[in-house]
Amino acid sequence: MEALVQISNVRKVYRRDAFEVPVLNGITLDVPRGDFLALMGPSGSGKTTLLNLIAGIDRPTGGSITVDGREVSRFNESALASWRARHVGFIFQLYNLIPVLNAFENVELPLLLTKLSKKQRRQHVEAALEIVGLGDRMFHYPRQLSGGQEQRVAIARAVVTDPTIIVADEPTGDLDAKNAQETLDLLRQLNAEFEKTIVMVTHDPKAAQHAKRTLHLEKGLLVESVEEQTAEA
Amino acid sequence: MKYAKLIRRNLFRNKLRSFLMIVLMGAIFFLIAALIQILDAFDNFDTGGAGDRLVVQSAFSLAQMLPYAHEQKLQQIPGVVGVAKSQWLGGYYKERRNTFAILTLDADKVSALFPEMNVNPDEMTEFVRDRRGALVGQDLMERFHWKLGERITLHREIFPFDPELTVRGVVHNNVLASVLYLHQDYFNEALKWNRVGTFWLKVRDRNEMPAISQQVDAMFKNSEDPTETFTEKEFNRQFVNMMGNVKVLFGTISLCSIFMTVLLAAITMSMAARERVTEVAVLKAIGFGRRLILGLMLTEFVITTLVGWAAGVGFAALIFGSVDMAKVTMGFLPRLHVAGSTAAICGAAAIVVGLVAGGLPSMKSANLRVVDGLRKVV
Repeated sequence: MEALVQISNVRKVYRRDAFEVPVLNGITLDVPRGDFLALMGPSGSGKTTLLNLIAGIDRPTGGSITVDGREVSRFNESALASWRARHVGFIFQLYNLIPVLNAFENVELPLLLTKLSKKQRRQHVEAALEIVGLGDRMFHYPRQLSGGQEQRVAIARAVVTDPTIIVADEPTGDLDAKNAQETLDLLRQLNAEFEKTIVMVTHDPKAAQHAKRTLHLEKGLLVESVEEQTAEA
Repeated sequence: MKYAKLIRRNLFRNKLRSFLMIVLMGAIFFLIAALIQILDAFDNFDTGGAGDRLVVQSAFSLAQMLPYAHEQKLQQIPGVVGVAKSQWLGGYYKERRNTFAILTLDADKVSALFPEMNVNPDEMTEFVRDRRGALVGQDLMERFHWKLGERITLHREIFPFDPELTVRGVVHNNVLASVLYLHQDYFNEALKWNRVGTFWLKVRDRNEMPAISQQVDAMFKNSEDPTETFTEKEFNRQFVNMMGNVKVLFGTISLCSIFMTVLLAAITMSMAARERVTEVAVLKAIGFGRRLILGLMLTEFVITTLVGWAAGVGFAALIFGSVDMAKVTMGFLPRLHVAGSTAAICGAAAIVVGLVAGGLPSMKSANLRVVDGLRKVV
């Protein structure tokens, strides 16, 4: 299968005062188009750092990251921002919706960076909110939604631009079991029906089972991979 | 603008803080607008004269009067084309709170020496003809609802003299809008002193003013009543100087106010920016660039200061429009208004305050690393 993301010998070192803290120690990995990859590992293993590098919100210390044929690890900050706007959808553990905007306006945010007309933006937002089952909550503010609903708004925001890749950092970490299940079902639906490539970081093995495959990181290295696992319903 | 909603919502995310911030800005810009207008009033007071007059007063003090006999000698000085006697009278109408400037003048000299009074010629003729006539500034006419031909009695403050007058003409000059003039002869008849506070000289050529001043003072140097001669501007400025250097004081207050505003606004805006670190990180993550974040935040902060400006200057315009400051200050200040230039200066100051105070927090937000912002728990 064609590799959408190609990670080649990526290293990441953080500097803390006079100390250097190596987080990733030469990761090489391909993520095929249409994949649903779960990254697991203990705290400090580097899984979120790897996700941030794939998403273009951080830069590697060494190695290269190519997404859809473009070496994003060489982009400057401005080019990265434009690239993220077009190609990456983000889902965060704490949803990170803008509290002063309602669901519709939150989902519309990434579209403000496009040249779409107001009418076109509205159509896209409505479609995205329908996909996540919140067509009737468009004008609710985050404080008026449950955690699960907030995360679904965040998912709608992530997919509204039809990104090349969706990155999810512990998307079920702050949800109860029922909402976690609904969120994972939704991600799997996006992957299966809309062929979205998803990279998800999780601590939860049950959540990881919804992915097509799982990779484990430990001390900045890939230690194990489970290929083509059977997704749990 | 497609970002307008985002800016508007952020402006009022903390309604109490936004309200207090706007009230603070409004109060400061009200103060600044008022100070600028008061300074402007002083400036107008300075430049109210025609610039071709000298004022002769006693060398001892303005309170010391000069003998009438000086007048004839002054008229003989080459270059002097007119001389008029004038005396400041303290006094009020009906009640002490109705105190205003009352001056005597040689009635037949008014047209020639004080053309800026803009009195209707027919009214001026009536004034000159009637020894108990009065010329009244337009603000006083409105304030006391006086009409031409109306008889009024003023009450003494300094001299043992209660003028009984008939309003004969209206002075149309904003600087002199709260001044009443009566005949010097009427005043002198009542007191029989043959002395007066000042002589006003009109000169043929402004360039001769310094020489004429020196000549006047030299002429009376060894008399019992030596003189000190000023240009009209210098003479008027004495009154402002009596209060100290008001302009410097007001200017300092204005600058301090702006400085305090910048500091307070910077603190508030820093707090507002700090609260939104994670949100800014999310916006940057989904593709909002550095410049866009900077522009959005600066726009938001400048709008806050501009709303404060509009509130403060608008309130000042409302207050000055509805409250007669001449009445409140008993003629010390003319009726104030907020000039377009004052509103523009305050508006520019508001923009600068917004940019300076909001600059640092906006830059910090714009330069925030996404991963740092997402890690931050505020």
